[in-house]
Amino acid sequence: MVAFRSTDASGRTTGLLFRCVLYSLLALALIIVDKRYDHLGKIRRLLSVVAYPVQIAVASPFEGWHWFRDSVSTRDALRADKTKLEAELRVAQFRLQRYEALEAETQRLRALRENTASVTDRFLVGDVMNVDLDAFRERVLVDKGAGDGIYVGQAVLDSGGVFGQVARVGQLTSEVILVSDAAHAIPVQINRNGLRTVAVGTGDTNRLKLPYLPTSADVVAGDLLVTSGLGGGFPAGYPVGTIAEVKRDPAQSLADVDVKPAAALDRSRELLFVWLKPQAAELPPPPKPAPVPKK
Amino acid sequence: MMRETRIRRVPMALSALVALGLAVVPLPAVLDAFRPDFLVLVVFYWCIESPRAGGLSLAFFSGLALDVTNGVVLGQHALALTLMGAWATNLRLRIRVFSMLSQCLVVFALLTGYQFVLFWVDGATGNPVTSFSRWLAPFIGALLWPVLVSVMDKVHER
Repeated sequence: MVAFRSTDASGRTTGLLFRCVLYSLLALALIIVDKRYDHLGKIRRLLSVVAYPVQIAVASPFEGWHWFRDSVSTRDALRADKTKLEAELRVAQFRLQRYEALEAETQRLRALRENTASVTDRFLVGDVMNVDLDAFRERVLVDKGAGDGIYVGQAVLDSGGVFGQVARVGQLTSEVILVSDAAHAIPVQINRNGLRTVAVGTGDTNRLKLPYLPTSADVVAGDLLVTSGLGGGFPAGYPVGTIAEVKRDPAQSLADVDVKPAAALDRSRELLFVWLKPQAAELPPPPKPAPVPKK
Repeated sequence: MMRETRIRRVPMALSALVALGLAVVPLPAVLDAFRPDFLVLVVFYWCIESPRAGGLSLAFFSGLALDVTNGVVLGQHALALTLMGAWATNLRLRIRVFSMLSQCLVVFALLTGYQFVLFWVDGATGNPVTSFSRWLAPFIGALLWPVLVSVMDKVHER
């Protein structure tokens, strides 16, 4: 047995070195196991439950402040809000009138082409918790977890458009990676001409990039980008952003395209978790699985 | 000498919890990069002040807590804090007789080493963070060290 707490100087040094090596090896083992294999999900889920009280304790004063501000807001302010919301609702309903018909038509056309589009099945609203995660990654913590049926890779929207996807699920909370995170990419399509590409995050909350478009691509500032639904992670047709700037350097083969995200990535407090409708049950299965293009 | 191993567990755990809270408290995005590593400083303080009360265990488990709340690969902060906590423990007899300025410089070295280990693990696990702002934290942490020591000494003596 190594004397952990022996009081003489040499014994203490041995104990320190021993414990340092022990803990370092343990940490390294954790890193490797967490990175290489997926066995730590349960442990992490458990640990996140332990961390939950701290997160709640930190978030609650801010929640309290929001609640206080809401409850003392004046009648005039509430009336102004109500008028504004009614106006927005009216506009939204005008747009929605055609939606059902259009969706049915799209389904018919897609069925003709033996092609399926992911359609959203149901939504769940989650609140962004007022805690900061890593300062250098674009992530938020949301107060819905595995207990609510959230799964890793689930699409997350806000009222403006695509917000991100679920990166990690705890029992009570989940971590959403924003479309603007440098490690995030999303298949998109330019709404005007159907040109497909991939939008990649930059680590800057107000900017995405389209790094894979050739200089000759038909893209201009102001174009709307929507999800293409390829890859199956996101439902098709939701706005991702608008093209902010296209820089074409004739010496380069690829254009430099900046995108402004449609979702209010740094302001949204309510997020929508989306479940996709399983398509296989509704449409007749194609005669053979379509070959997936490699590139 | 024997009483310190018993008595200091509670303020140790409490200060670590408060520091963990400070590590996740929301800040405006502009200030977020300037957030000092409170929990790391607290761990260094306990490693230097009473190493026999389990400073290294505190370092490891605080690191694990940071991994979970930061949502990074498990073990990253634990590894960095263990290594730097051990270094701080090793230096403790010398640090105590240093002037405040020299102490700040040592803490700056420890914090830079901490960031370097984080940086290395980030790179090794394939999520490199290349922005320079992460190297700001050691500066700010070192500047904060005298404040933290005076506050923690108050807590400690009580």
